[in-house]
Amino acid sequence: MKHTSKFTFSTLLILLSFLVNAQQKKTDSIPPKIERYGIRVGADLFKLTRSFYDKNYKGLELVGDYRITKNYYLAAELGNENKTTVDELINFTTKGTYIKAGFDYNSYENWLDMRNMIYIGLRYGASTFDQTLNSYKLYNTSSYFDEAPIVTPGTKFNGLTAQWLEVVVGIKAEVLKNIYVGFSVRMNRMISDKKPENFDNLYIPGFNRTYNGDFGVGLNYTVSYFLPLYKTKSTPRKVEKKKK
Amino acid sequence: MKKLILLLFLLSLSFSSCEKDDICDEATSTTPKLIIEFYDVLHPTVLKNVTNLKVKEVGTVAFMSFDAVSKIELPLKTTEDITKYSLIKNSLDTTTDNEDFLQFNYTRENLFVSRACGFKTIFTLDSTTPYIKSDTSTPDGFWMQTITVTTSNITTENETHIKIYF
Repeated sequence: MKHTSKFTFSTLLILLSFLVNAQQKKTDSIPPKIERYGIRVGADLFKLTRSFYDKNYKGLELVGDYRITKNYYLAAELGNENKTTVDELINFTTKGTYIKAGFDYNSYENWLDMRNMIYIGLRYGASTFDQTLNSYKLYNTSSYFDEAPIVTPGTKFNGLTAQWLEVVVGIKAEVLKNIYVGFSVRMNRMISDKKPENFDNLYIPGFNRTYNGDFGVGLNYTVSYFLPLYKTKSTPRKVEKKKK
Repeated sequence: MKKLILLLFLLSLSFSSCEKDDICDEATSTTPKLIIEFYDVLHPTVLKNVTNLKVKEVGTVAFMSFDAVSKIELPLKTTEDITKYSLIKNSLDTTTDNEDFLQFNYTRENLFVSRACGFKTIFTLDSTTPYIKSDTSTPDGFWMQTITVTTSNITTENETHIKIYF
């Protein structure tokens, strides 16, 4: 993709330069590419809509990024979740807030005045939350006695924390002027978490369900607004050099 | 940029160490059963097989059968602090059969195991009266001579908790 557009772009540049050369021996008349810098803010629609159809879930995530160089963006997510997990043996509620901060690297070479992104990124995530153990079943391999009734302790574990690293792969496309739609998938790796006594962090806000204790996945579907702050002009790369 | 992609790739590889965790593995230690071994009362170090042993909770009908074994596993109730069993030796023979009652007294604790296995109960036998041996209403004598508690903490099934000499 990248190479294709680079190739077409280069070819077109050469053709254009020939055209220009044929017409008049003047200076290069290709308009410089305008790069816009600014801040982009938005929200995760996936969490927002899930809050409507899933009675066990309420969540909100705000996203933002700030372009610092041609390809690098500072990026962050801030969210809050309240989720009741109903497993076969355990029922618990997780409530908490999280923040993720890091960067995105745009690997997509935009064609002319397009401003889209195909990016990879890295985040450091941190969450503070509490868990409420609503009910559980006792696992018993013996069936001699009747199954023990469900235990409902309702124990609340406050002041739990977790921190993790997150690898992000995603796209952002400008659908209307300054309005972007984005989609990203994430893989999370726990660095450390404070576990509740005689229970575990089976779900962590921002990190999502924990697999095998320290692995998690996530995704978001965002709509955001780009607020341009300043512009730079970047002249196209010299094609002549490559022609040697 | 290539270095960056490589770094992210390596990092994501380290994530792939996940394993299935929604089915409780049989090897996982869950609620333990009481492990009882039978020994010869004349040779206390020699295991002795019990013939046609029938075990049931007193007051119920359902029973567990064991034959020609020296080791049995009995579940303890996770809803009460006592479990009273009736153990009938030679249960198939109406002349030599012998029924003894054995009541276990303990305290319980529920421990978290995992998402797939939920919680388990572990037991601690009462330190003063871990068990009460009694005979049937029409006494036929005790077939269990001596009972010793090897360990009062019943947390796994890998060790013997009770030894019965007969």
